[in-house]
Amino acid sequence: MDTFLHLMNGGAGNLAAYLAAHVLLCLLPAFFIAGAMAALIPKASITRWLGRNTPYRVSYPAAAAAGSLLAVCSCTIVPLFAGIYKKGAGLGPAITFLFFAPAGNILALAYTGSILGAEFAFARFVLCLLFGIGIGLLMAVLFWRDDASHDAQTDTLFAEQASIGPAATGVLLSLVAVLIAGTLKLWPLTAALGAITLPLPWAEAWQATLFQWVPFDAAKGEEGVSVQGSLLIALLLLIAVTAWKGLENIVEGANRWTWIALGLTAATLVVAALRLTPRADGLEVALTGRALAVVLAMAAVLHHARRLDADAWRGWLWEAWRFVKQIFVLLVVGVFVVGVVRQLIQPEWIQTLAGRNDLMANAVAVLFGVFMYFPTLVEVPVAHMFLDLGMHRGPLLAYLMADPELSLQSILMVAAVIGRPKTSAYVGLVAVFSILAGLVYGAWVDGVNPVWIAVGLAAFVGGLVAMLGWMLRRRVATAHA
Amino acid sequence: MKTVKILGPGCANCRKLEAVAREAATSAGIEAEFVKVTDMKAIMAYELLSTPGLVVDEKLVSSGRIPTQAEIRQWITA
Repeated sequence: MDTFLHLMNGGAGNLAAYLAAHVLLCLLPAFFIAGAMAALIPKASITRWLGRNTPYRVSYPAAAAAGSLLAVCSCTIVPLFAGIYKKGAGLGPAITFLFFAPAGNILALAYTGSILGAEFAFARFVLCLLFGIGIGLLMAVLFWRDDASHDAQTDTLFAEQASIGPAATGVLLSLVAVLIAGTLKLWPLTAALGAITLPLPWAEAWQATLFQWVPFDAAKGEEGVSVQGSLLIALLLLIAVTAWKGLENIVEGANRWTWIALGLTAATLVVAALRLTPRADGLEVALTGRALAVVLAMAAVLHHARRLDADAWRGWLWEAWRFVKQIFVLLVVGVFVVGVVRQLIQPEWIQTLAGRNDLMANAVAVLFGVFMYFPTLVEVPVAHMFLDLGMHRGPLLAYLMADPELSLQSILMVAAVIGRPKTSAYVGLVAVFSILAGLVYGAWVDGVNPVWIAVGLAAFVGGLVAMLGWMLRRRVATAHA
Repeated sequence: MKTVKILGPGCANCRKLEAVAREAATSAGIEAEFVKVTDMKAIMAYELLSTPGLVVDEKLVSSGRIPTQAEIRQWITA
């Protein structure tokens, strides 16, 4: 019984820590950005660059951009992947798109940054972009005959043109400003501009009760629940109730609950950006530069959103709400389970297996990523757990690259579209490249001279360009033969 | 009798689209047969780049979004 309580406590503690201010300031805006991308960016504005006759130097970056901007959910990933492969630019760009989508989308980036650090998110982004294009090119080279056989088909699907409107651009940029204002750890955002003390004498006692409910060990990297955290959790529960009534049928129009839910969301962001400290005489509320910046950025969002037409903003809110329903619930359960499991894993195991940045450790990390399937974004708290338990950051990156790419589910899906031989090649390449990425980033963390890393990556890119040249010559030669 | 196909692997938007389309048919007083297409190969036979897709009598009328009831009523009464 004691063990059970201990495990439950670990789960609850982990969950409470993940609902703390800094995570919400990243996640809430990220959900709205993801919704805006899905609803407000016309797909044709990017897919027009993915047609059959687009040159390689355009189609590969466009495929990466599509992965980053259009593919926040599986509704788009599979059809777009199959479409690019069969009716558009071909196997290479399709693979680049598929590989980059889980790592390059806004939710994954923002969440990785807030949990594992901005530097880590940046490394994940850059290495996934580079290796995504690399794997795409390699696949195109390996199976160059295959694309040639598709050339006869038409690509009317990719002929449509569209561009993103000024109001939608304004909404997207100001949402990104909310995200940046909420998460960047820089002066003047962190400065306190003034403080007032609310006469709430029970604040300190409430804090003590919270620490008693969710005991934590700062040495193990655990966070407790603060007074601010408890307020945020209460606000989140209120949003959950009101959003259900206000956003479920938003496509048909807004109602009173819609505005209440949105108001509560804005209030949550402001509370998360303030600094609340319980004192003997009450609750000290410090107005931070961050709170001011968040309010200004939200005002900008409102200003631009008012210029959207009804269909556009309803679509935007619906997509944002859909992401919350689809991802947030699983994330909450996942974080709880991770907290429970963490109590059962001995740090020595992880340190022995993956405490250093060598080939073995990276291979083990990738293997774990292939055989484990976690719902969207849950791979991030899992990675955080490994980091706390002493995993080296190199293998950690290798794991984070392999896990969302290679689950049994995604492998089956890819096999249904491109067939078994190509899928095996793809899985092999992803495994090799993830290990490589882990080794490179691990070397960077260990302080290896950046010049060497740059030389290595440049040699890699050079090799790819040479291979591409060879492939083009082969195709031209075959066409003439 | 109209045949309405909902194309999508079973994501939230596909279920929502089916609900909206059924309501639209009921409110327009039209009898329609609803078919859910979840097989990826069958979906890709239509010209679309993102799901959910709505097909009325074998013609793709919308994809990648959830149309309003009014729009769907127009398509199925046309």
